[in-house]
This record gives sequence, C-alpha cells and structure tokens, in this order.
Amino acid sequence: MNKDIKNLVADIKSRFELVGEDYPKDDQAALDFNSRDIHSVLAYVKSQGFRQLSILSCVDWIKDNQFQLVYIVFNWETGIRLQVRTRIDRSNPKFTTVTSIYPGAKYYERDVHEFFGVEFEGNPDSYKQLFLENWDDMPPLRKDFDSKAYSDRKYPVREYAADFSKAGDKK
Amino acid sequence: MDNTVEKQENIRKGWDGISRFFRANSIWMLMYCTGCCAIELPQAMTSRYDMERLGMGPMATPRQADVLLITGYLSLKTLRRIIYAYEQMSTPKYLVAFGPCTLNGGIYYDSHAVINRLDQYLPIDVYIAGCMPKPEAVMNGFNDLIGMIKRKEANGWKKYEQNKDWYRKNQIQALGELRIKDEFHE
Amino acid sequence: MKEIKLFLGPQHPGMHGNASVHMYVEGDIIKRSYLLPGMLHRGFEKSMERRTWMNNIALIPRICVPEPDTNEMVYAMNIEALAKIKVPERAHWIRMIILELARLSAHLMAFGGIGGPTGLYTAMYWAQADRDRILTIFEEITGHRVYHMYIVAGGVRKDLPKGIENKILDFLNDLESRLPEYEDLVLNNPTVRARTVDNILLPAEVVWELGVTGIGMRSATGQEYDIRKVAPYARYEKVDFKVPTATYSDAQTRMTLKYQEMYQSINIIKQAIDMMPGGKVRAKVADGSALRWRVPAGQVYSAVEASRGEYGYYTVSDGNTMPYRVAVRGASFPQGLLGVEKYMPGHRIDDAPLWFDTMGICSPEIDR
Repeated sequence: MNKDIKNLVADIKSRFELVGEDYPKDDQAALDFNSRDIHSVLAYVKSQGFRQLSILSCVDWIKDNQFQLVYIVFNWETGIRLQVRTRIDRSNPKFTTVTSIYPGAKYYERDVHEFFGVEFEGNPDSYKQLFLENWDDMPPLRKDFDSKAYSDRKYPVREYAADFSKAGDKK
Repeated sequence: MDNTVEKQENIRKGWDGISRFFRANSIWMLMYCTGCCAIELPQAMTSRYDMERLGMGPMATPRQADVLLITGYLSLKTLRRIIYAYEQMSTPKYLVAFGPCTLNGGIYYDSHAVINRLDQYLPIDVYIAGCMPKPEAVMNGFNDLIGMIKRKEANGWKKYEQNKDWYRKNQIQALGELRIKDEFHE
Repeated sequence: MKEIKLFLGPQHPGMHGNASVHMYVEGDIIKRSYLLPGMLHRGFEKSMERRTWMNNIALIPRICVPEPDTNEMVYAMNIEALAKIKVPERAHWIRMIILELARLSAHLMAFGGIGGPTGLYTAMYWAQADRDRILTIFEEITGHRVYHMYIVAGGVRKDLPKGIENKILDFLNDLESRLPEYEDLVLNNPTVRARTVDNILLPAEVVWELGVTGIGMRSATGQEYDIRKVAPYARYEKVDFKVPTATYSDAQTRMTLKYQEMYQSINIIKQAIDMMPGGKVRAKVADGSALRWRVPAGQVYSAVEASRGEYGYYTVSDGNTMPYRVAVRGASFPQGLLGVEKYMPGHRIDDAPLWFDTMGICSPEIDR
C-alpha cells in the first residue's frame, strides 16, 4: 500500500464514519460507508482530485437481502483508485442520484436501474429502458433471475439427434 | 394453339435463365453490421480478398439490396430491425447467416437477450460456419450462394411469403409486438 | 423551420457498428439527439456469472470486437489481484506486445474509418490491408485472427512461436515507412480537412463533465492522462515512450493524435522485443483441475488504456468456482451516451459519424 493512500484513508476516516475497508491492490482502496454519507464522501473525494467517475456499478448480495452500490473514482494525477461502496436494502431499492457531483453518472444510474431495479431519485431519465426493449421479467442481473430458463422459455432451442455436449464424458 | 403456349413457355424460361445469370453475378449486399462477424467483412471487401470480383458490392438502402447478411448473434432489439429491413427489400432476396449464433445461439445459448434459432423468424439460404468465419469462409459462402441462385435453389423468400403466418407468429412470440412505437419513452 | 425526427442508423453506412442515433433536426442542424444502444446487448455480465473462471476466457474477448485483447488483460489482472498470482516476467512483455499490436490494429481501423464519413475510401482500403497483416501475425501467435483468448490469468497461453519476432519487426518497419503516406492521404487532404478542422469540438471542461478518457481527454487537456503512464500495468514503466497530447480538440487533432500514437506503439513493440527476457510464460494458478478452480473472495477493479480510453472490469468473487459479478466499463460509454445527448446538438447531421469515428465509439462495449 503506498503512502498517498494511507494519508488519504486517514483523512477520510477523520471526516466520515468508515464501515469497512479493503486494499485489493497497491494503488486501490475499497471503502465502505453508510448510505447517508455517500454524497458527502463523493463530493469530498472529488475536491481531493478524484475528478473522474470510472463506473457506477451494483452487486446483488441476495443472501444478505442487500444491494451494494459501488462508485469507482480515479485520480489522474496520482493514479489512485477508490471504490466508494455502500449497501442498501434489496426489497425496496432506492437511492439518490449523484449526477450533481458527477454528471457522467446519469447513464450509469440508468444502467443500474435497468439491470437491478434500483431507483435513483432526482435522475428523471433513470426510469426509462435503455438497453432492453419491451422487457417482461424482473431486472435481468438480479441473482434470482435465471437467464437460461428465460431463454429456453422464450426462444425455441434446436433439437439434435445426439447430445454432442455430453460426448466427451463417456470415455 | 399448343405451339404458341409452348413457345411462350420457352421464352419465359429463357428470360428466367438470363435474369438468374445476371442476378447471380451482381449481388448487392445490405451494409448492416448486426454482430461481431461483421469485423471480417471489411477484410473480405477490401484488397486482400476483394469481394467485388464476385460481382458483389455494398448497398446502403434495403430497397435496392439483394442479400441481407446476418453477421452473428441477434439480440431481440436487432431482430426487430432486421425484420423491418428484410420486409423492405424487394424480391428476390437472399439471407446469409454467419456463425453458430444464428444456428443455435452459439456461445450465447443461455443469454436472456439473444435468440437461439434464426430460422424460426426468417428464412435462411446459406449458413457460414466459424466463430467468426474467416474471410475465406465468407467468400466460400458467397460462392455457394451464387451457385444456388444459378440452380434456382435460393428460395428462402418464396418460403417466407408462403409461410408468412407461421413466421409472424414466432416473431410476435419473441418480440411481443412487431412495430414499436415509443423507443425513447418520451 | 419545423423540427423533423430522424434516425441515423442502425442500418446506415455511416454508423459505427450497430447503434442508432435518434435526432430532431431543423434543416440539417441537430437540435436534440440521443443514442439508442442495446442492439448488441448480449447480457455478458449475466453470462459470466454462469460460467467458471476459466470458461469465461472464451467469452470475454467478444465484448469489444475491434480490440478484444484489452478484455482478456483486465480480466486476467483482476484474477491475479484476487488470487495473488505472480506473473512470470516474460509473460508481461508478451502481453505488452499483444496489447500494442491490438492497439495498432484498432487505430488503423479507426484511422481508415474516417474514410467512411468523409468519402475517402482509399484510406479505408489501405488501412484494412495493413490491418490484415496484423491479423495474420495474431493468427500465427494465437491461432485466431480476431478473438485470441491468449492472455490468461497467470500469464499467456503459450510462448511466442519461433521466428515471429522477425516477422513482427518486418511488418513494423514496413508500416513505419508507409505511415507518412497515410499522413499525406488523410491528414493533409484538403477534402478531409474541410470536414474535420475546427469541427466537433471537445472543450476541456466537457471532458471532466462527461468522464471522457483516452484520446478525447488527452487532446483537450494537454496532459499525459494515459493509464499506461499514470498507473502502469504489464511493463509499461520500463519502456520509453511518449504520450501525444494537444490542447485544442477538434476532429483533426484527435485524428492526428491517433496517427502519432501509432508511431509510439511501433516504438513500444520494438523495445519490448529487444528487452524481453526468456523463461516461463505461465504460472500455475490452480492445484488440480483449472475448471474447478476457486478464486479467493474479494472485489477489485482493474483498468487498462484501450485505444478508446479507460477500459476496466470490476470483478467480485465470493470464493466460488464462478465469478459472483463482473461489471464492464466500456471505454466509450460516456462519450457514446452522454456525449451524443449533450454535445451533438448544434452540429450538422453529417458530422455525427465524425463524432463517432474520432471519439472512438465502439457500440458492443457500450451494450455488453
């Protein structure tokens, strides 16, 4: 872990309540916060040089009944990357938009809404479909969605006289 | 009397043969890159393999094109546009499908967005194997298509017209509705 | 004048890939425009959760078609970070050669691709012919022209075949001698210049607003914002190369930077071939069957500099045989979606393909 990250994390610790931390790489820190702190954390790290939001993503922790939102921000001067993470309730997934801090988040929020069903208040476009068209099931990247079953149900499968996929197992 | 009918029939056959000869030797393909196999098409079109020596060239509008290339997997969203484009094309029209994705879903067999069998929705004249097909395979596929046109075997468009209800039923089963009104939710 | 609703693409020869721009125009000036993506949506992120860590190697190159090797690289980097694998030294250098060859081929394609919207098809023919020679080299190294599945966790799949270094050097020298002709053909061509100079501007503050990376960012800010320099991976810190920059970003500048980057790629590959050590190319990653390999739990993000910008994967493992979640950051996501919505209005209809070409927009990676 390099010195810049140490200082940065110490600085963040003194300002916000840190729920968890992890260092998957030398130049990367993963910090967990309470969901109410996320906006002030992002605004703060942006003022500290993390000017780019690389991606906003979501992880479905179905066993904990939680969604984890991950904001990955990057500092182009020092090459340090931060994962700013928080967990929200899975049964009623709602969060507030961060487009006022990172305008580039607009379409990432739309993406997360489409694939996980998380609603972002304050982003009027995030409710519209983007990649899918006439989607008729639950958001497809949730863990309880079975894409194979959906595919088999909706698209006819070609029948073969012999099952070649098992041919290798017999030997 | 019989003599004239026979004569007319001969003339019709003659014209048919001539038109097939010209059709087979000047194929315009619709430039619609539907999937990843399209990345090998520029190689097939440009200097190394030079598709133009088969009399093939790119065409921008569906109405003037003869052959529609399905270059790889089709998501539902593309399938809808392909059906629009295919129905706009004037007959005779041919369909060439690339790669295993059009045959049985290929590597995307379990994907929620990609169809498995294209022949359920549109009639296909030639399949080209490979993921993705090399330019040699592409050229060979086009050669096959030309031979089929000459031998009157490329009849997919006739099949589509005769079985339109069956195709339409499958299309609607996958797509929900064929024409979408509000793509941008405005 | 009345506003007219117009679609550019997906079935349009000027569009890059299978995407559609939906625009409202007055005369030929765009008033509002939106990208309609999703026509190449295959649900990769879901499919990857259904396959083992090793099986995914066959799947991931298909996310970005013109430059698939960056996918393999970020995927391998993530697994190596999670499982703490030490990659052999030689593999790093081979990876660098492969990545730079891929960058060359993607740049050639984009640089020649400018022939489409400007009506200069000669450029496309030349670039494709040169690109084809890179694909032949790839075929000899990896066995496949486009999707290589060559960079795997722990190194590369196989060592370089004997004598390939000379073939690569021959090709590079040849390309280097031909590049000035490209400059005359494209960059100094009055018809192309009429379309590209002072057109499709990208101001520096817009870069930060959108989150644009890659050539778009470097051409506007004048800083060496290149992940190869800022956060080096493979062995980029050991080779000597420059990152071309500019402070005024019109379409012409971005094309010029692409052209200059090709020289730098050639330079990097030559150094890599020269400095490459011998030895093993692949570390053993798993005890027993690699198909039942369990990657330790963790969450990590890795990014590389693709020809279009920052290309990254966010990988989550819960310690199982399959990834728990993989999120893909397509390099052209910001400029493709938000850029079209915010910065295309005001330009002419025929300038839209220029934005797509010079900003390096690749629709499969936006859709995934």
